[in-house]
Amino acid sequence: MANEDGSGPVDKGKAKVVDPPKKDDVVMKDANTKDAKGEPKEEELSEEDQQLKSELDMLAERLKESDSNLYKPALEAIKDFIRTSTSSMTAVPKPLKFLRPHYDDLTGLYDTWKNDDDKLMLADVLSVLGMTYSDDDRQESLKYRLLSPTNDIGGWGHEYVRHLALEIGALFNKRQEKEEDTQDIADLALSLIPYFLTHNAEADAVDLLSELEMIEVLPKYLDENTYARACLYMVSMVNLLPFPEDIAFLRTAHDIYRQYNKLTQALVLAIRLNDHDLIQDDFDSTEDLLVQKQMAFIIARQQISLTPAEDDEVAECLTNSKLSAMFQYMAKELNLADPKTPDDIYKTHLEHQRGGASSSVDSARHNLASTFVNAFVNAGFGQDKLMLVEDEASPWVYKNKDLGKLSAAASIGLLMQWDVEMGLSSIDKYTYVDEIPIRAGALLGIGLVNSGTRSETEPALALLAEPGVLEHDNPNIRMSGIMGLGLAYAGSHRSDIADFITPLLSDSNNQLCALAALSLGLIFVGSSNGDISSSILEILFTREPAELKDKWSRFLSLGLALLFVSRQEEAETTIETLKAIDHPFSKHTQVLVNACAYAGTGNVLKIQQMLHLCNEHIDKDNKDKDNKESKEGDDIFQSYAVLAIALIAMGEDVGQEMVLRQFGHLMHYGEGVIRKAVPLAMGLLSPSNPQMRVYDTLSRYSHDNDNDVALNAIFAMGLVGAGTNNARLAQLLRSLVSYYHRDENALFMVRIAQGLLHMGKGTIGMNPFHADRQVMSRVSVAGLLTVLVSLVDAKSFILSDAHYLLFFLVPAMQPRFLVTLDEDLKPLAVNVRVGQAVDVVGQAGRPKTITGWQTQSTPVLLAYGERAELEDEQYISLASSMEGLVILKKNPEWEAEQDS
Amino acid sequence: MGNTQSGMGQGGPPGDKDGKDAKKDKPKYEPPPPPPRPGRKKRRSQGPDATSKLPTVYPNARCKLKMLRMERIKDHLLLEEEFVQNQEALKPTGTTDDRAAEERMRVDDMRGSPMGVGNLEEMIDDDHAIVSSATGPEYYVSIMSFVDKDLLEPNATVLLHHKSVSIVGVLTEASDPLITVMKLDKAPTESYADIGGLEQQIQEVREAVEIPLLHPELYEEMGIKPPKGVILYGSPGTGKTLLAKAVANQTSATFLRIVGSELIQKYLGDGPRLVRQIFQVAAEHAPSIVFIDEIDAIGTKRYESTSGGEREIQRTMLELLNQLDGFDDRGDVKVIMATNKIDTLDPALIRPGRIDRKILFENPDQNTKRKIFTLHTSKMSLAEDVDLDEFISQKDDLSGADIKAICTEAGLLALRERRMRVQMADFRSARERVLKTKTEGEPEGLYL
Repeated sequence: MANEDGSGPVDKGKAKVVDPPKKDDVVMKDANTKDAKGEPKEEELSEEDQQLKSELDMLAERLKESDSNLYKPALEAIKDFIRTSTSSMTAVPKPLKFLRPHYDDLTGLYDTWKNDDDKLMLADVLSVLGMTYSDDDRQESLKYRLLSPTNDIGGWGHEYVRHLALEIGALFNKRQEKEEDTQDIADLALSLIPYFLTHNAEADAVDLLSELEMIEVLPKYLDENTYARACLYMVSMVNLLPFPEDIAFLRTAHDIYRQYNKLTQALVLAIRLNDHDLIQDDFDSTEDLLVQKQMAFIIARQQISLTPAEDDEVAECLTNSKLSAMFQYMAKELNLADPKTPDDIYKTHLEHQRGGASSSVDSARHNLASTFVNAFVNAGFGQDKLMLVEDEASPWVYKNKDLGKLSAAASIGLLMQWDVEMGLSSIDKYTYVDEIPIRAGALLGIGLVNSGTRSETEPALALLAEPGVLEHDNPNIRMSGIMGLGLAYAGSHRSDIADFITPLLSDSNNQLCALAALSLGLIFVGSSNGDISSSILEILFTREPAELKDKWSRFLSLGLALLFVSRQEEAETTIETLKAIDHPFSKHTQVLVNACAYAGTGNVLKIQQMLHLCNEHIDKDNKDKDNKESKEGDDIFQSYAVLAIALIAMGEDVGQEMVLRQFGHLMHYGEGVIRKAVPLAMGLLSPSNPQMRVYDTLSRYSHDNDNDVALNAIFAMGLVGAGTNNARLAQLLRSLVSYYHRDENALFMVRIAQGLLHMGKGTIGMNPFHADRQVMSRVSVAGLLTVLVSLVDAKSFILSDAHYLLFFLVPAMQPRFLVTLDEDLKPLAVNVRVGQAVDVVGQAGRPKTITGWQTQSTPVLLAYGERAELEDEQYISLASSMEGLVILKKNPEWEAEQDS
Repeated sequence: MGNTQSGMGQGGPPGDKDGKDAKKDKPKYEPPPPPPRPGRKKRRSQGPDATSKLPTVYPNARCKLKMLRMERIKDHLLLEEEFVQNQEALKPTGTTDDRAAEERMRVDDMRGSPMGVGNLEEMIDDDHAIVSSATGPEYYVSIMSFVDKDLLEPNATVLLHHKSVSIVGVLTEASDPLITVMKLDKAPTESYADIGGLEQQIQEVREAVEIPLLHPELYEEMGIKPPKGVILYGSPGTGKTLLAKAVANQTSATFLRIVGSELIQKYLGDGPRLVRQIFQVAAEHAPSIVFIDEIDAIGTKRYESTSGGEREIQRTMLELLNQLDGFDDRGDVKVIMATNKIDTLDPALIRPGRIDRKILFENPDQNTKRKIFTLHTSKMSLAEDVDLDEFISQKDDLSGADIKAICTEAGLLALRERRMRVQMADFRSARERVLKTKTEGEPEGLYL
């Protein structure tokens, strides 16, 4: 009958790791068996089938007879039938189907036969037949396979090998539960690996080994052709694996890359592992100075400080001192060198002029906003039209009030970012001004100039870490010194700097103490440095409860938390210690530490924990008046928990998208304290990545009734579009300007968001993920998180007089360019294709890694999720992922082709 | 939400008036004018529909990575469920229902009754649009703030207020009700078992249509794109439609069936629109199978034509061409077409890429004939003397349908004589009759 060969027991033994269609199969099978019974059996088969069936029946009968001489030829014949049969993709091969009725008999026979070659052969055949009998839990295939060792497993076809691999996994787990020996299975598994690898099934090989928890053995089976795909697959699994396994995967992949001399890839993984020795080891493992320089660029991007190399040029790369020159080069090439005024950004000519309305706005506030916008927009370009204009009667600095002057002076640092020499000389004149805020601002500016780059002469250390600054009478000077040091040496893990700052932890001024902790956190971000954490903890323990209530105290917690960025388990002890503090403050700190420790891991359990925190509704109305006073601010841990969800989920695509849904629910059910953090969390989740659905939602929130929510949503819009010049966002923000033209705070926020949107005239992004979105820059995350934590209570920080906290965004600011360099590190213009990155993991063949590309000449800008590749093979890129500074080497073979 | 913004944009003037008022009692001014309706907050916090979509999981291959990613999605969904359940449990009960009912009532009041039905032509800005009503004129109207703007898109069917003609609602069923009729709710009873022979054809159809929907990973592993569609062709009565029915019976995918002639509509542009909508519905309910019977009704070769009707039919076909392999990726939509005149079809319609597999249905050979005979006679009560081999071995050019007709006819003859069994004689005369009527249809070589 027709259905028999077409829709027979479809894909028996084929339902592998994922078998969603299982149900259909069963249904179909039932239907078919029913049909089959309804009809006379003979008529269903075509003549050939009939013949085949009778032959197989005969062979099976022969095996059951006593004449042992006939066994061998019979078995050979059966084998032959099975091997030569072809069939539709999902149907069971006919010989297997016809032999099914005999299966039980044959297994019975097996036990009665005496041990000889025939028995082995029978086991071989039974193993294949067992595939069609894949009732779970029996693992018959595997059982007989183990009974008949063979070298030619592949001979039975791919489907069989896969089936075997599946059963191996299942049996291994079963045996492990019973703590039985698994050596034989492991051996068999290892014999399957080469087969998989030679048959384009690296994924199966990796899966099998990970099932057997022995991924470490993979490298010795790989070769030139297979390692790249296997590694790619392994690396993309890391985010989804539970704790010890992910490290094993990363280490194995790292070893493989090392083995094949792909040092840049290895280095990226070493950075991911957060293993300082391994990074150093990778870095030192090559003699090739060019490769070393390339690695130095990657390390500098991550802002890790290594022991300086002997070679001067390499050391220069390592300190990132080229960044400014390259950035300027790019600006020139892209015609962006002309400075822009804030009005260019606001597009004031497009705003409706409402007679007199704008004049009512506090002009100091307006000027302050312009200061920040100017700084963000012209960051790193070294020229602007407000601050660095020499011959003007009234310098812009004086158009700001009080602490506004501080921010204005500091903004020079941002304008001159990365360019240490020029920057210092521009700031110099403000360091001698009498007005304290300006001097303080200049000090902060010095820190900003040095952020993201290091210099041999250590100007920041020399200028900021002196008693004249850190022990100055005025708290503002001291504060700027501390912040400047923190920003300049963020991520450097240098204990000599800590020695300068630690004394200030005991400063009587709450604000200073907190900022000192924050700076320490920035400098030692992700180091889990015991000394620093214990000194911050000590402060926490000795503080009076009332002091902990201070709004600045949150930065104490944050400083502590930053120490443990992506340190996972290592943060546990600190969390335990924190539990000893009997104050709501302890809970806030715990949340932050937890969030930081699991940042970028996508850990679902932690997200769940954070959601549980958001479950409670803290009802303020039920408390009586004086009680309410003391309870004020106790629920802030819920805001942190919301931020924590974003922080944990970021960097893992699936989680990232799912968390967005979660935020919808939080917004729906949450109290104000949760709601105001949701926009921030959304911003944190996708900085510099303007996705329609994210900014549409944010734009809704920006009209929320709750002013805090609206303010944060506006900022988040800036964050989401940071440095992208996204036209749609720009338009949304412009319409917000006219909407909020009478609300000072909101207007200020809109201006800042506009500044962020056009950051570096669209050349500087804030996404903490780099190197093909694999590596999370801890420094960037720390910077972003600092600003967001302060925004949780925007009205007492950024919108009050602590607007200079916005400068903590600076460590996160990185040019999103691709500059190609020749072997002398001079910029080299080549054609590259820039397109949307495609996830090619586990796809057959050699698929394109980018889609919808355009060919451009370097330097080019790369948006989020974009990837570049060289247009032709004239040069070879030394870096694995084309972003940032990339050194190109001439391809020796290319020239030869040209000649011929 | 856009509404508040709309409040602002709608009236520069009213906003300004507000401002003047506000200046008088300045401190009281609050930027976003609170909306009169309580229902808004809830709607807003639900977020746009786009966020409710689950991320797509790559790679398609069967591997642990895919499993892990799927599990991650599951975990997150569980978290969501847990959170929402907890929150719902905490929420004070009772009040919400009343409030919802009240809100509902207010909105209904505002909408008025009856409402006109119109077509959204164009969005002007966030709160204005151009609509056309069935009677013809187009209006520039405002969109009520409670309308879900995510649902508004050009060509959506909208509800209009009977006086102000402003948009008060969206009819979510954007597609023509005609299409929903085509959706097959009840699977036909014919299964693969009811087809005699045609093993080859069945296998080809399954490979091209069913397996890509069930196991896309097989194709991905091989590095090929699964076929997009098949065309079944062959002389009448060879089982093309029957096979399609069997596919519909067997599959769990959405099955849309249309006859080519249905696509020919009275009004200009209706045909192509119908085609578009069919494929839109198919994409929405993906995975799905679209079966177009008698495709030659619209798919004939293009030629210079003066009749407007002809041209409209050709345009309908052009739309079909575009839907089959146009610019947009159709995704999990497979197409089966059936015709008995493949040589009249436009070559563009059946080129590879649109229709990747052409499956020929031939008149049955002896073996198949036997199968078909046994199939049809299996439920009849036959007399002892019936020997079907006689008919099978005869060289008549019988199609499957003819065989069925013979069996039916034989049954009828037996019935006429009130016999409970069909005899060989019945079959013989039935065969005569069938063959006679069959040849009668076509004048033999008269004009050749």
